[in-house]
Amino acid sequence: MRCRLGLLVSAAVTVTIPGVLAVLAILGHEHAVAGADAMTVTALSEDSTLGPLPTAPTRTDTAVRNSVAEVQRTSGEPVTVLSDVAANQQAFAMSLLGKAAAAGQETSYQGVELTTQSGVDGTVTMVSQVWHQGGGLTLVRTSSGATSAVSYESGGQSPVGVFGVTKAMVALLGQHYVAVYRGTGAADGRVAAIIEVYRFDGTLAGRFWLDSRTLVPLRREVFDTSDKLVSDDAFVKVQIGALAGRPAAAAVSAASGPAWVTASSPGALLTSLAGQGWRLPATLSGSLPLYAASWSGTGTGQVTDLEYSDGLNVISLFVQRGMLAPSMPGWRPMSLDGRRVYVSGHSVAWAGHGLVYTMIADAPPATVMAAVAGLPDSDQPGLVGRLRHGLDRLAHLVDPF
Amino acid sequence: MSHLGNLISALIDGELGGVELDRATAHLAGCAACQTEAAQLRELKRELRTLGDLDGADEVTSRLLAMVGPGCPVTAGAPGGLVAARPLERRPGRRARRRRGRYAMWGAMSLVVVGVGAAAFGMGGTPSGNEPQITPQLEVFDVQHAITSGDVPFADPAATRAKGAKGAKGAGKAVVKGPASASLLRAGAEAARP
Repeated sequence: MRCRLGLLVSAAVTVTIPGVLAVLAILGHEHAVAGADAMTVTALSEDSTLGPLPTAPTRTDTAVRNSVAEVQRTSGEPVTVLSDVAANQQAFAMSLLGKAAAAGQETSYQGVELTTQSGVDGTVTMVSQVWHQGGGLTLVRTSSGATSAVSYESGGQSPVGVFGVTKAMVALLGQHYVAVYRGTGAADGRVAAIIEVYRFDGTLAGRFWLDSRTLVPLRREVFDTSDKLVSDDAFVKVQIGALAGRPAAAAVSAASGPAWVTASSPGALLTSLAGQGWRLPATLSGSLPLYAASWSGTGTGQVTDLEYSDGLNVISLFVQRGMLAPSMPGWRPMSLDGRRVYVSGHSVAWAGHGLVYTMIADAPPATVMAAVAGLPDSDQPGLVGRLRHGLDRLAHLVDPF
Repeated sequence: MSHLGNLISALIDGELGGVELDRATAHLAGCAACQTEAAQLRELKRELRTLGDLDGADEVTSRLLAMVGPGCPVTAGAPGGLVAARPLERRPGRRARRRRGRYAMWGAMSLVVVGVGAAAFGMGGTPSGNEPQITPQLEVFDVQHAITSGDVPFADPAATRAKGAKGAKGAGKAVVKGPASASLLRAGAEAARP
């Protein structure tokens, strides 16, 4: 009897101690879940759990391969295979983010967002008053700490996400990161589900708080590759559901503004632009693929908008023919990696080879600098560059189409 | 007695003299074989001498010169109808014409390449003066970025300045948020974060 009891205790210790050690090791990687409360989240599944870091590089060709790994395999890059646990976590977390994207569009909410982002010109803080009618109009009124506000109304245009959680962004995120549900926490005094987003090397890239009841995003953090917080967007006051009276009409209306024509195939548009001598990349900074493109007419000619994103970082690149005006109020000249550019908050503008580039970025400064470095600049081109540009112009003269 | 051998040719040509001539003559007088050989040799030499006086030689030479062309001078007074020692003038042939055409083709191609290169070099430098001067329309771009990225629009200084300028012209938008309210909200945010 005593022998059996000893065996039972030994077995229990053998099973329990490694488990406890594993849980402690995992909790050591937690950044913000320390404050998570123990409340049950009714909107969430019970099978969510903490687990090991999501990526597990292996040489084994296993059937457990999520869509990200499939993308990597078809692209010819090294394959990252997820463990069974990580693959399940990814599927669950992506399901939550997908629902959050829909909730951000279909649910009515209003509140105040505080946005703090590190840019190439320092940290920028903005306050936005947001009013969104489920499935319809969105009014936003944003002000930075030093200047007057810019406000706009979406006119019901999609995607109208919250903290970048839209269907398109979630799809991109699933291709470039591994998302993991990390339990519950609190945001703006509300119980929230926490989703963490990892790079394939296992480093933390971002974290989302989703309202546990409605899944409307409440907060988002973004980290750079050195684990530094580069962006923190959060509701500091939010009301979900019944709305108060509609605010006054916004100064800028998406409906009344210039019409943007969306390209059915961004890649084909790039090819067409290349035929006109516009050398624009299909991927920025080596990690942000072109996912959408559109164009619009302005008083100074056509502007092409190229959208690059990996689901977490977004860079909008506006390109138009011309040269920068000698005087640009609100823009500050500065040198970026040896290149002369003009900076205004999140935006960077420069001219090169007869084109004006305006970049608006929700991305770490290092990513923005790499993106700028990958585009033509205003420096005098070398002999080869000058000949190439000249030949492009000649070709455009011969065949303007 | 041995026969004359090689001496017989020298005897016929009158090149022997002295003792050799006496001995050769004495042997030839008593040797029928050497007499026959000497007679044949004399006959051969006489025939060879007559070959240099052929009447058709001039005719053959003239015919050959006529094939060269009428411009070729022939020294009429030259002995034996010999052609003067001046070299013939070279006329441009097919090979020369082909070489000249090749030079012309390469020259034309070089001119085209240099011309296009110079034009490309000129056009590839600074933009032409027809380029419009642009101040990026941030107030429009910010909204477009917000719609596509699913986030709130930025309030970049250039955008708000542009909007402020438009408002001052008569739109009457009073949209000013000061730093004080931002600080207050941030304090609230810090308190609310986990």
